[in-house]
Amino acid sequence: MATILRVNMSDLSVRREDIDARYQELGGRGLTSALVADEVPPHCHPLSAANRLVLAPGILTGTGAPCSGRLSAGAKSPLTGTIKEANSGGMAAIDLAICGIQAIVVEGRPAAGKWYRLRVTPGDAVLEPADDLAGLGNYDTVARQGERFGGKISCISIGQAGEMRSGAASIAVTDVERRPTRHCGRGGLGAVMGSKGLKVIVVDPTGGQRPRPADMAAFRQGVQKFNEALLGHPLTGEGLPKYGTNSLANVINAAGGYPTRNFSDGQFEGVEPISGERQHDVIVERGGEIAHACHRGCTIRCSRTYVDEHGEFLTKGPEYETVWAHGANCGIDDLDAIARMDRMDDDLGLDTIETGATIAVAMEAGVIPFGDAAGALRLLEEVRRGTPLGRLIASGAEVFGRTYGIERIPTVKGQAMPAYDPRAIQGIGVTYATSTMGADHTAGYAVTANVLSVGGQVDPLRTEGQVELSRNLQIATTAIDTTGLCLFVAFAVLDNPAALEGICEMLSGHFGRLISADDFLALGRQTLATERGFNKAVGYTAAHDRLPDFFRTEKLPPHNMTFVVSDEELDQVFAGIG
Amino acid sequence: MSKVQVYVYADLRQFTGGAAAVEVDAEPGQTVAAVLARLGIPRERTKIVFVNHRAAQPDRVLKGGERVDLFSAIGGG
Repeated sequence: MATILRVNMSDLSVRREDIDARYQELGGRGLTSALVADEVPPHCHPLSAANRLVLAPGILTGTGAPCSGRLSAGAKSPLTGTIKEANSGGMAAIDLAICGIQAIVVEGRPAAGKWYRLRVTPGDAVLEPADDLAGLGNYDTVARQGERFGGKISCISIGQAGEMRSGAASIAVTDVERRPTRHCGRGGLGAVMGSKGLKVIVVDPTGGQRPRPADMAAFRQGVQKFNEALLGHPLTGEGLPKYGTNSLANVINAAGGYPTRNFSDGQFEGVEPISGERQHDVIVERGGEIAHACHRGCTIRCSRTYVDEHGEFLTKGPEYETVWAHGANCGIDDLDAIARMDRMDDDLGLDTIETGATIAVAMEAGVIPFGDAAGALRLLEEVRRGTPLGRLIASGAEVFGRTYGIERIPTVKGQAMPAYDPRAIQGIGVTYATSTMGADHTAGYAVTANVLSVGGQVDPLRTEGQVELSRNLQIATTAIDTTGLCLFVAFAVLDNPAALEGICEMLSGHFGRLISADDFLALGRQTLATERGFNKAVGYTAAHDRLPDFFRTEKLPPHNMTFVVSDEELDQVFAGIG
Repeated sequence: MSKVQVYVYADLRQFTGGAAAVEVDAEPGQTVAAVLARLGIPRERTKIVFVNHRAAQPDRVLKGGERVDLFSAIGGG
């Protein structure tokens, strides 16, 4: 039977607890958000002992369902003050599921300056002193665990940014090669882990067993149907493996929605050198790897291995959001420099979106000029050294912009916007404004129908259809995030009914009872209602579901549009949900 | 003669000899589909079409002077 691992950092105790009946069929975001809403006082300080960090594999994680290796992390966010869920690929979620762990709940706080490692195996879990790891980046932290505990482990860790309890701090998750390249990036969850004195979680699945579906035949039938849908879709079967996520750079730029120089233009003249096409060619020429899986059992394989001019490993990807954040958004067109920034972000444990957005605000403030790649790398070095300027960079765009008296700060609820300008892609603006997470593209990826002709077409420059599109995507996304499936399966789900049938059949096989599409979507609705309930208790209202004013007053070239979805329409997104 | 600037991406570049951009002469009544045919780009491979940065259908008539962007299936995020 799966258990919850209760880790108390105040008295340094660890205990296994049978999971409460109401959580029994939950996983991923559905479980982390439910536990945070039930156990974290809404008004607590996010870095206090009262906040809890919850980590959970998805419902299907570890079962052998394709692309089901997501690790969900939840807490009250130090960046947004809202409930927060951020999920990541990598191997740790699968290994936790094999260890029989449905969730880890970390509570309390140790004596200041003390650091610990949590070591999890199928039969045991222990807290160990880890002061020797203090001050290390994620790469060194993980390497030392590998040397000590062997090759089967995976790690969940924080770098210097998490230790400094910075608003942009991420939680790193190791990939198949045990590199800390995958991150629960958004919302400063690394700072919550840092506030608990927890430097690293080492998971060794040796001797454990995969979760076994109740009805193996039904489960296998679902796996086959789902696999066929993923492999048969031109995006999940061909486009993403070959070109990766950064193939988006050219299409979003051509659509006029590629935020450039801190959201002051919708197109970047230097897009081609940092495009997915160029990235593909550079990787192949240098002997890197395309079509790389970030966890075992991923058939999409959108990750890649980026090597330097000498063929030495530099970083993964980098992903579209990272290339944009450190590239176009900073006026930088040097892919190698961006890859180095990605490596530094991963090592420091920083959300690449928040960090790139903050550097762009710093450029607008005149700290360094737009286009200054060497200067941007120096700012990240300041983070490593923990200087006042470095700490400001690691605090996120909102804090940095306010400190320097900047008006154009592209955040919602304190979290920086990702790589789509809501003036050119109005549907994603609806999601940015209304998401329970602050500005977050993954929460309801309206870019699909607005730009990519996936799941139908909705005109990106008009208001019609945007609210319904964002609502439906937010519900479906939350359901997918609960299963542990990678959100990229949604491209197939939106175009091919067989993909959703496959998911429902896998869930039916897993639970041994029929799960309909309505049951599946109910998972999403229920979790969104839980998250909104928490945010309301914190004090968030409809007045917070808004974009910064400049999106309504500054026209964005080339369409010369402002954000035109009305406040009244935004307030309809969650009508009937909570 | 007025021209149409055609930009192609990702796998569609195999049909332009690797070129990222090509220029075609404008012709009366010429549609996006006709431009695809002239360039030998299969219509079923062309998932996204922009004319002057706005989504367009293959039957869109081009007058000349436009920028056309052609994509196969693209996504990520």
